[in-house]
Amino acid sequence: MTTTTSALAHPASPLNRITRVAKLHFANPWTTLGLPWIILGVIFVGSLTIWWLIYSALSPEVREGALQGTEFGGSSFFIFIYMMVMAIHAISITFPFALGYGVTRRDYYLGSSLAFVALAVIYTTGLTILGEIEKATNGWGMGGTMFAPIYFGDSVSERIFVTFVLFLFFLFFGSAIAAVWVRWKATGVTVFFIIVGAILVALFALTTFTDSWAAVGATLVDLGVLGVAAWSLVATAISGVAGFVLLRRATPRNAA
Amino acid sequence: MTSTIEVNNLSKHFGKVKAVNDVSFTVAENKIYGLLGRNGAGKTTLMQLLTGQEFASSGTISLFGQSPVENAKVLQNTCFIKESQRYPEDFRPKDVFKTAPWFFANWDQEFAERLIADFRLPLDRRIKKLSRGQLSSIGVIVGLASRAPLTFFDEPYLGLDAVARQIFYDRLLEDYANHPRTVILSTHLIDEVANLLEHVLVIDDGNLLINEDAETLRNRATTVVGMKTAVEAFIGNREILHRDGIGGLSSVTVGGLSESERRDAHAAGLELSPVSLQQLIIQLTRTETKEFEASA
Repeated sequence: MTTTTSALAHPASPLNRITRVAKLHFANPWTTLGLPWIILGVIFVGSLTIWWLIYSALSPEVREGALQGTEFGGSSFFIFIYMMVMAIHAISITFPFALGYGVTRRDYYLGSSLAFVALAVIYTTGLTILGEIEKATNGWGMGGTMFAPIYFGDSVSERIFVTFVLFLFFLFFGSAIAAVWVRWKATGVTVFFIIVGAILVALFALTTFTDSWAAVGATLVDLGVLGVAAWSLVATAISGVAGFVLLRRATPRNAA
Repeated sequence: MTSTIEVNNLSKHFGKVKAVNDVSFTVAENKIYGLLGRNGAGKTTLMQLLTGQEFASSGTISLFGQSPVENAKVLQNTCFIKESQRYPEDFRPKDVFKTAPWFFANWDQEFAERLIADFRLPLDRRIKKLSRGQLSSIGVIVGLASRAPLTFFDEPYLGLDAVARQIFYDRLLEDYANHPRTVILSTHLIDEVANLLEHVLVIDDGNLLINEDAETLRNRATTVVGMKTAVEAFIGNREILHRDGIGGLSSVTVGGLSESERRDAHAAGLELSPVSLQQLIIQLTRTETKEFEASA
């Protein structure tokens, strides 16, 4: 019988320590990659059916413009919210799990962030491809719009940018909420939303009292879709840093 | 002998609650430690402090010579299996065993597979459909197969039946013999693990009561049984840890006895029996409580 002392582990490289946490989020890809596409597919098939019903009920002369209103539709918007919820869920559940595996909070957060950026890339790619097919087929042959709504921009590159940036925002806002949850549980999240609500109301009141709604509107128009999307990166960065700072001092607890 | 863990004047307070109160001890390399104590005694908090999951209020901790807090170099040598370890809900056991090797350099897949068979763990069932015992067996398998140089088991066998627990003890001892490592096991089932432990730490109310070699601890007390008068005559004014009696018979637990004392006892027709670790700890912690109350 050979006896070997369990030697101290070879220190894993910093990059390896981060990528293995990122991989953890894809270990069972059902929640991160499977379910969202299935829901999206179901919504798409449903929309197609409705469009087809409308399309076939109309006379050929009025058909062309009938579905133009779907340009303003938001049927693919759920996927952004889904990503936010997924980020909250993923962090609250894998954080205590990973720490038991001897992962540091820093590596955990960086690895999770890497996974989220990867998800943003994957989903942006998917939505862009579907959006382009939609454009190329003149709205699936019926003038319908699901994947390339008008507020995602006019060109492919604009749509890619806006979609990607939106995914980043929802994922990192989600991870900030998750960090609050992990650290202070339900009380913390309640307080967090009260604060966020108060800030929004305060901004709203400020705009109203200074009579500057017109100016706000003009600024938004000036910024355009791209400008607004670019500014969301500031909120994304704040969320990302806040999540990191909060999680750095969090302790995994069993109580749910 | 090198020490794997060194703890000095460690305290952790939650508001007014002193979960861990000015504790100092060292843990020697490649030994199996029992961390024993009642519910809420501070065992889990202590383990969380040692693995950098909890932040100390004061005092120092050193693992492999360094602070564990946010220290990847130290922490990747640890594995911490908790009482009610939670897993990602959409995971199946096979996802756990797929991901665990990424984090543990010494992971042994063959050993893990053998344990999976031993515990009859279904690999394809979703985590949330598993029974409490099956869930615990996942933790036990990860803890054992990880072969982390420093492994913590915090009440790892909630819901495990007697057979499964015995498998855990057997496999732990077997594998430990081939691959020595430092194991810290916290448990309520003291008698079950008594033969496993080489060193015992008893914590009560945040204070470290006992920090002793298991062998020494076992010799710390003896139960003297016999006729009441003979027993009383023998014990004299020795410190009594526990007293029991029926009719003319008496059973008294006293501190450790020397060889000559043992001969005297036998000569007096008294029977001496060793005290189980569990009994001993119950009695010692009770005594402490009494003394504490008396001095308060």
